[in-house]
Amino acid sequence: MIRFEQVSFAYEKDAPVLQELTFDIGEGEAVGLIGANGAGKSTLMKILLGLLPYEGTVTVDGMRVEKKNLAEIRKKLGFVLQDSDNQMFMPTVYEDMMFAPRNYGLSKEEAEQRVDRTLEELGLMDLKHRYNHKISGGEKRMAAIATILAMEPQVILMDEPSTALDPVNRRTVIRTINDLTMTKLIASHDLDMILDTCDRVILLSHGCLAADGPAEQILRDQKLLEANRMELPFCLAGPQRQR
Amino acid sequence: MSKVSAAGVEFREMDELAAQESAIHALHPLIKLLVTLAYIIVVVSFPKYALSGLSVMVLYPILIFQASGIPVRTCFHKLRVVMPLVCAVGLLNPFFDRVPLLYLGNLAVSGGVISMITLMLKGIFSLMASFLLVATTKMDALCAALRKLHIPSILVTLLLLTYRYIAVMIEEISIMTDAYHLRAPGQKGIHISAWGSFLGQLLLRSMDRADELYQSMQLRGFCGNFYYADSTPCTLGAAMYGVLWVGAFLLARCFDLPLLLGNLFL
Amino acid sequence: MHMADALVAPAVAATMYTASAVTAGVSVHKLRKDDSAQKLPTMAVMSALVFAGQMINYTIPGTGSSGHMCGGMMLTALLGPQAGFLSMIVILAIQCLFFADGGLLALGANIWNMGFYGCFVGYYLIYRPIMRSRWFSRMSAKAASRLKLTIASILGCVITLQLGAFSVVLETSISGITELPFGMFVGIMQPIHLAIGLVEGLITTAVLLFVHETRPELLMDVGTSDQPVSGKCSLKTTLVILAVVVAIAGGGLSLIASSNPDGLEWSMFGNAEAGYSENMGLDEDDFGVDSAAADKAAAIQEKTAFLPDYAFSNSDSPAGTTVSGLVGSAIVAAAALLICLLGGFFRRKRKQKQS
Repeated sequence: MIRFEQVSFAYEKDAPVLQELTFDIGEGEAVGLIGANGAGKSTLMKILLGLLPYEGTVTVDGMRVEKKNLAEIRKKLGFVLQDSDNQMFMPTVYEDMMFAPRNYGLSKEEAEQRVDRTLEELGLMDLKHRYNHKISGGEKRMAAIATILAMEPQVILMDEPSTALDPVNRRTVIRTINDLTMTKLIASHDLDMILDTCDRVILLSHGCLAADGPAEQILRDQKLLEANRMELPFCLAGPQRQR
Repeated sequence: MSKVSAAGVEFREMDELAAQESAIHALHPLIKLLVTLAYIIVVVSFPKYALSGLSVMVLYPILIFQASGIPVRTCFHKLRVVMPLVCAVGLLNPFFDRVPLLYLGNLAVSGGVISMITLMLKGIFSLMASFLLVATTKMDALCAALRKLHIPSILVTLLLLTYRYIAVMIEEISIMTDAYHLRAPGQKGIHISAWGSFLGQLLLRSMDRADELYQSMQLRGFCGNFYYADSTPCTLGAAMYGVLWVGAFLLARCFDLPLLLGNLFL
Repeated sequence: MHMADALVAPAVAATMYTASAVTAGVSVHKLRKDDSAQKLPTMAVMSALVFAGQMINYTIPGTGSSGHMCGGMMLTALLGPQAGFLSMIVILAIQCLFFADGGLLALGANIWNMGFYGCFVGYYLIYRPIMRSRWFSRMSAKAASRLKLTIASILGCVITLQLGAFSVVLETSISGITELPFGMFVGIMQPIHLAIGLVEGLITTAVLLFVHETRPELLMDVGTSDQPVSGKCSLKTTLVILAVVVAIAGGGLSLIASSNPDGLEWSMFGNAEAGYSENMGLDEDDFGVDSAAADKAAAIQEKTAFLPDYAFSNSDSPAGTTVSGLVGSAIVAAAALLICLLGGFFRRKRKQKQS
């Protein structure tokens, strides 16, 4: 589904952000993207979305990420931003959800059906006509996910989907992610959430691939994690994790 | 509560009013917009001494207040800051125009006093009418109405986006002012040493926000066109409502109705 | 500076709406040509920022008071005149709708007074010429552009606010609303707005200098003084368009003024019979109080009667008219009260039914 081959990127010369990354993500996989602040997680996502120029080859569904394929590729990719306020730019949740389907040529009726179906599945029907600036943080995050799901993408990318949520809302988001069947790529520092939602983890370190393997294995490797400014997930650490 | 967060509260309250349900709320937004404009134009066009003719115009806002269930109290509370300013305009009139126009018993009322009261009423009436429009119409519906009037989509889109981001900005600025004043107790405003950086920091952050916002639009297939939520179709009933009100306004403007009414009794 | 609805006559409001609409149309056209889709989010976020930023209090050193900014000049420096103008329209529209700052009918006039001067005059006649000039070329490039930015911001704010304030006076006078003589009105408005403009200029300078230090590429025309002026042709066309728009506004206003002897003409060009030209804002002692009496009475008759023939047909004297007017108004007030009571009654009833 997604393929990175020898991908490098630098904002400024001599300060590479990504270096010769190579990996594959198959259809239906749920991959967690972890790494310290500045390791290149966001940059990797932006490159995949065609927002940054890069060296090497990135392909989505066999198409190279480049200008002439962008429209087709972006249709397949749904990106949930970390700051929901930047994503929900229309006054109401409903209008925001209509935005992508209408842009992709659906008629008003079709788009509306899709919006209703998505909200129904997520159990968010009561949010439909609410104002984006008047819903709570948790509702906003769920609504942001809903606006992306209304696109019916083949791959969903999420940047820190669990931050700034109370435990119950965090659980809701995790459950929602687990219910999704499409390919998932989730960047986060919340390793417990990654453990709950992903079966594979890619660990970035200074723009390089530090590890790539089953989540159970990497997230239990205390040495590897601590070498990358991370800690064992709470649920695996037990009472002995003290500092 | 700081001025900024107070503004945020006002902003939300207006949304809540507009989200209520009533016959007036359900009316087609374009009709409401046009009737409001017609009302204000007619009110403002009354001559400066036409106090009695103007007084009949109070019936429109009163009726809408009652039909929409929006308390008159709320209106005056919301407009408490602006009201005195609007009223202050005519305050000097009595000093410049002292020709007696009418006698109440022995008390002579000068033209200035009459024109002052007329001007104040004009101000209050138009304020009430605009308030009622916004209090009974959601922003998205209003924008759809503007599109129907062929206002360029770039302007309407800008209005929608700005409306959305005002709420975000108000929040950010109120957090920043609170943070400032927590570290600078006793200061009334922002000290001159921070004039540039206070707003400047936010400005730079906002520019980045705008970039990210544009990216999130692009990623969802945006290529320059906005689709608007089409509002309810304009029914014959709605059109009739509009025609009736505009007719009533014109009638009130052409004939001094209270005067004619008074003549019936005298 | 925000004018209320009661301050403008419908004809003046319509003229100003037309002038602002033409300018907006030209701006939209220009932005479309430049493919401004990318600019849209920036414009929106900046408008929102300026809107919210207007509520910040800035302490003015040495005084107990505080100042605010209105932002036209700042938007222009960051977005360019066309985008800045559209942003101002949106800001003023939201202020008008949600905070009743300025009336719906007067919106066209307010856009003109605050948006047009701040954005177009401020940019083409003040900001750009100064920023592109070779002033202070002996200093380092950075220091020079800092100084130019300061001068442009302060001058821009002061001058555009003066123009705006003068327009307010003009529009109000032509509308024939206030009894305040033109000269006196100008004498009040201009100095007040000189002070406001200075404060606004200083705030704008502070913010723009901050941007200049951190992200100079965001500012229009920074570091362009050495480059050949590429926009020369567009300046010419813009000036032509400006001239046309100004002509429309000016022509419309003067038409109204000439058909409304009670407005500007009355106060500015003077009504010799009434003795106004002699008194104009100078001799406060006999401010046309007696001399205008006869005129006034006639004017009143004319004015109270929209259809001249009917006004006094039912009664003998003007006094009688006003009394029946009073009675009628009282009946209207009673009717209004009744409507309120009935509304409250029905609402209560519905509530009872629901519960």
